[in-house]
Amino acid sequence: MAAREPAKRIIQQVRPILSVDREEARQRVINLYKAWHRTAPFIVEKFDIPKSVPQVRQKLKEEFIKNKDVSDVRVIDMLVIKGQMELKEITKIWKQKGHIMRYWQESIEYKPNDFLSKFMSGHN
Amino acid sequence: MSSILRSISCGLRNGLVKNSGVFSFARRFKSEEIPEEETRPTVRKFDNVQRSNLTDFGKYVAECLPKYVQKVQLTAGDELEVLIAPDGVVPVLQFLKDHHQAQFENLVDIAGMDVPSRPYRFEIIYNLLSLRYNSRIRVKTYTDELTPIDSCNDVYKAANWYEREIWDMYGVFFANHPDLRRILTDYGFEGHPQRRDFPLSGYVELRYDDEKKRVVCEPLELAQEFRKFDLEAPWEQFPNFRHANPATEEIETGNKEEK
Repeated sequence: MAAREPAKRIIQQVRPILSVDREEARQRVINLYKAWHRTAPFIVEKFDIPKSVPQVRQKLKEEFIKNKDVSDVRVIDMLVIKGQMELKEITKIWKQKGHIMRYWQESIEYKPNDFLSKFMSGHN
Repeated sequence: MSSILRSISCGLRNGLVKNSGVFSFARRFKSEEIPEEETRPTVRKFDNVQRSNLTDFGKYVAECLPKYVQKVQLTAGDELEVLIAPDGVVPVLQFLKDHHQAQFENLVDIAGMDVPSRPYRFEIIYNLLSLRYNSRIRVKTYTDELTPIDSCNDVYKAANWYEREIWDMYGVFFANHPDLRRILTDYGFEGHPQRRDFPLSGYVELRYDDEKKRVVCEPLELAQEFRKFDLEAPWEQFPNFRHANPATEEIETGNKEEK
């Protein structure tokens, strides 16, 4: 009887957001990636950004790779939902050029952290 | 003839108003103790009849929906609150809306609350108004970042934008919402600003870049660290109210906790 107690606690039922298992969540991620991938030429054309289609796709890949270590199905679902919302904001052109260019973060100057670059920039 | 009709309808109306709705439960569940009248001039006086009516209505709701209602309480003396399980949002709201003796037809607001120390950190609070019985009720439920709550858009159409607000500010996902997207924050904004772990100053700042001819987004850099001032006086502010009424008074219901 006592042995059954902890087992019950571990298998805690949680309500799924969209997917019930990892395979389904993976499929959703792939579908989202494909949808974004197909939108790349549209983004370049409509928003008049100084980027080419391969560059946009490269950025898209980077954004997906950022979350490659997420393993919880519900977290994956939440990210997919947010990704879908963002994609909708782009296809409906609710976002503007500045919002799209924000993905590249070109204006951020990172502080030097290794010795040589610190030395070159005058920090000691 | 018409005068007879009028008198009958008058009698009916009077009878209806007196015996109807939230107030008719007083007859079914007589509250036994009647607290003494408040006489202090600076303390708010409650209507004891109304309080006992609300208590009885709370008991009735708990009796009708034993599966979902976990706790019923009176807040600030005369505000009825029903604390429910997250699965029960739609059935409880549907009950309160459609029950003839309640008729809470009006969804005034949906509020969110974040208490990071709790196991379910978010509280979702539905404020309902019954125009028919001039009465208000508050329904509270709980959730965390990843547990979806059923959208009550099918019960109250007003819930559409309120739920979008909650989603935007707290990141609580509403299942079956027809159009869940951001409503208050700007496109491209990351995070949910009403969460307690979101800093007051935010993470990024925007400025117009003259070189690029567009608005750019950069990580926030403040010249000074955020400072918290302790503005509280060292002495007690309101010693007379040390023994004021408690903020919430739980109403005993027949429902047993099954956890």
